[in-house]
Amino acid sequence: MAATDIAVVGYAQTPSTRRARESEVQLLVPIVTEALQRAGLDRREVGFTCAGSCDYLTGGPFAFVSNLEAAGAWPPISESHVEMDGAWAMYEAWVRLQHGDIDTALVFGSGKSSPSKPEEMWAQQLDPYYLAPLGVDPASLAGIQARALLDAGKATERDFANVVVRSRRNAKDNPNAQVAGDFSVDELLAEPYVRAPLRKHDLPPISDGAVAVVLARGDRARALCKRPAWIRGLDHRIEVHQPGMRDLTTSTSTALAARKAGYDGGPLDVIELSSTFSPQELILRDALGVDADANVNPSGGPLAANPVMATGLVRIVEVARRIVEGSASRGLAHATGGQVLQHNLVCLMEGD
Amino acid sequence: MSTSTPKENLVMEHLVSLTYSEELTPILERYVDALIDGRIVGHKCPSCGRVYVPGKGYCPICVVPTTDADEVEVGDHGTLTGFTIITPVAYYGQTETEPFVYASVLLDGSDSNLGGQEVVGVPHDKLRSGMRLRAVWKPKSERSAEGVSNRGWGSVSSVIDAFEPSGEPDKDRAEYEEHIF
Amino acid sequence: MAEQCAVIGVGQTHHKKRRDDVSIPGLLREAATRALDDAECTWADIDAIVIGKAPDAFEGIVQPELFLADALGGAGKPMLRVHTAGSVGGSTFIVGAHLVESRIHERVLAISWEKQSEGNAQWGLAGGRSRGIGAGGAFAPWIRAYIEKTGAPEYIGWQVAVKDRLNALKNPYAHLKLADISIEKVKESAMLWDPLRFLESCPSSDGACAVVLTNEANGKRASKPAAWVAATAVRSELGAFPGRDPVRPLAGVECAHDVYRQAGISVPRQEIDVAELYVPFSWYEPMWLEGHDIAGPGEGWKMVESGDTELTGSFPVNASGGVLSSNPIGASGMLRFAEAALQVRGLAGEHQVDGARTALAQAYGGGAQYFAMGILRSQPA
Repeated sequence: MAATDIAVVGYAQTPSTRRARESEVQLLVPIVTEALQRAGLDRREVGFTCAGSCDYLTGGPFAFVSNLEAAGAWPPISESHVEMDGAWAMYEAWVRLQHGDIDTALVFGSGKSSPSKPEEMWAQQLDPYYLAPLGVDPASLAGIQARALLDAGKATERDFANVVVRSRRNAKDNPNAQVAGDFSVDELLAEPYVRAPLRKHDLPPISDGAVAVVLARGDRARALCKRPAWIRGLDHRIEVHQPGMRDLTTSTSTALAARKAGYDGGPLDVIELSSTFSPQELILRDALGVDADANVNPSGGPLAANPVMATGLVRIVEVARRIVEGSASRGLAHATGGQVLQHNLVCLMEGD
Repeated sequence: MSTSTPKENLVMEHLVSLTYSEELTPILERYVDALIDGRIVGHKCPSCGRVYVPGKGYCPICVVPTTDADEVEVGDHGTLTGFTIITPVAYYGQTETEPFVYASVLLDGSDSNLGGQEVVGVPHDKLRSGMRLRAVWKPKSERSAEGVSNRGWGSVSSVIDAFEPSGEPDKDRAEYEEHIF
Repeated sequence: MAEQCAVIGVGQTHHKKRRDDVSIPGLLREAATRALDDAECTWADIDAIVIGKAPDAFEGIVQPELFLADALGGAGKPMLRVHTAGSVGGSTFIVGAHLVESRIHERVLAISWEKQSEGNAQWGLAGGRSRGIGAGGAFAPWIRAYIEKTGAPEYIGWQVAVKDRLNALKNPYAHLKLADISIEKVKESAMLWDPLRFLESCPSSDGACAVVLTNEANGKRASKPAAWVAATAVRSELGAFPGRDPVRPLAGVECAHDVYRQAGISVPRQEIDVAELYVPFSWYEPMWLEGHDIAGPGEGWKMVESGDTELTGSFPVNASGGVLSSNPIGASGMLRFAEAALQVRGLAGEHQVDGARTALAQAYGGGAQYFAMGILRSQPA
């Protein structure tokens, strides 16, 4: 049984922008400092550090090495790195905190999508023998998923547009969002397709950004934060890679991760989902069994800001922040990896 | 099951070309402008006083921000702190064919090395750590920002051709020992 | 109190320059199947997978673990991808051990790999630009600094190169099988990165390594002896800054002291029976002996000179042949842990060190700035 007294006690994120002039590490330095300051923790006291990033975004092998400078790795630190979204870096840190010999951890996730052509680069994430040579990009796969959802009678294009309208409206209150504003469903449905049945607004923006989180355990968490966001459950599950080998209209791995994280279907004050394409929000809601009127993506979600490799950890921060600030008591954050929801993480958090 | 002659392994060629484009960070832009002008600039940490060339926008040791206000100019003479001679390996994009020097040069007034520098005017077997060098600048009209990137170590090869012996006496090991990296 | 972690399965591929006979999934399954067989369990028994490799650019696949999930029976399981440069194989082992020690999972498959023949690591290391220096070029100046500082004779590097290749002849999985290796041959081989010669450098290999990690109860129940994880630690430091000692990086010193402390070791030279150290270039053997306080300052090369680090010496290093004989980069670090486990289990075959009860495993990466270390024992604590 995993410890349930590990909490988010500090956080910070950059605004999400189409093109940041700063390098990835330059984006990270101020927010790592800010997250530690919010927790009132000196960086030399941090017990374990873990980062999430992707070399291919920057286009240089070992790109993650320079991000180490943001952690202030001198004197030497106990540190690790995952080639995944920062949410999984938090998972590794959370596992490390279970041991009980340390009681604080620093986690960050960062990504600049602006230097690369995402449709070209992410196509290389597919099976190199059978799929990558076809040159299928993420949006095309998401289009196939959306089509499957329509064909199964599970959603309409109007439902997709509704997700976008709400995301952009919610994003008006989020200073870190990149796409925000008031739109009507009819106005969105009048737009042309880019990957039928998906329109441009069903796709996430291309973003640069970074996020940092401070974790602490037990009494240390209480000392560092008035109202810690306790991680009651954290789990992640992967599915088969070949999109043709699974039902794209469901997310069994999300449902399983939620169950393993101890989510019992009870009420949630806030839910943040890594639904990078609008139809995915409908799939994830269904997998989690959340009510139609649930408070999903009050930040605007990935359709408003998608700093890849930070997007998932931002979801955790958006839920944790509402708990720490007292506007929510119980929330669920979701992160995803791979194409069309192949790999999913669920984090269940509560206030005291 | 019948046995037959083993089949040839199927090998598929799949060459991938990806395009990246980015602007230099504002700090590197100033750095390049200064280089073209014949000056080498860096950032001096307001907390510990270490000088980084090029500036990073922060001191990685103190993790405090540095800005244009912390900019300092360093010399174009320096000390060879370490080197190797590389026998180039062929790969796509490699243009070197003959052994070349790969040296770290600690510029006067800087705390960080310029890595990967060519040293000329001295036979390979006469190179030694501690020897004093000076920059061989390209003529001003030939200098460019090419080769300086947000990744890696901010090569100066489009501005400075190489380093050559300056004739000054060698430095003692103790004077540069903290800068062999 | 953390759960005790046991290594009950070890598997590796036959490492070669090109493994054209298998795809990447096939390569991983070869190692994983051997580890599962050794552990006497099946794919269904595995609760979670931790996978490691060096930069994605080496094979040109972004986050390849996503497609490898299918071949590794990943569906429905948690899968974590670790990347800490050259130390990644060691870090992957350690993250796997953490999952067991924290009691989150009962059986974990930790696996790491590189299939260098399906990409171009030299191109990858150079970031596609000219004047690529390779890993040897990056480390050569520090090796020179070690030699200048300690006054070690040049034949020390040749001696390590010969010793590891002779050990590799006893390891059925090793890549390089240089039966006629000799000091003369190393000395005569081409100078690649002065002062490093061709035969003092590691090869490029295709290969994978896997381990099955489990809890104390399962470790004691296993029909074959288990290796017990007595200590693990990771340390990272900045790669380049004034005041850094790249010859004896502080992160390596502190990482070693952390595992010694956890395992209750006060005199490593006497209390460790065998060590698997990440030695991609011959000189790193004496450098790590000193860098991990196994030998005193300037004494590491003397341990090499006197034959102490040979298979039958008082402190055998890299009985498997080490990275100098097989280098599937992402897996090279885990191979150190796997070989250390084989030694304390008494299952290392021809390269077994007699009576090995305590083994040190070490991997490093980046600009000698990432360290992953562990102590494995024949008995639980």
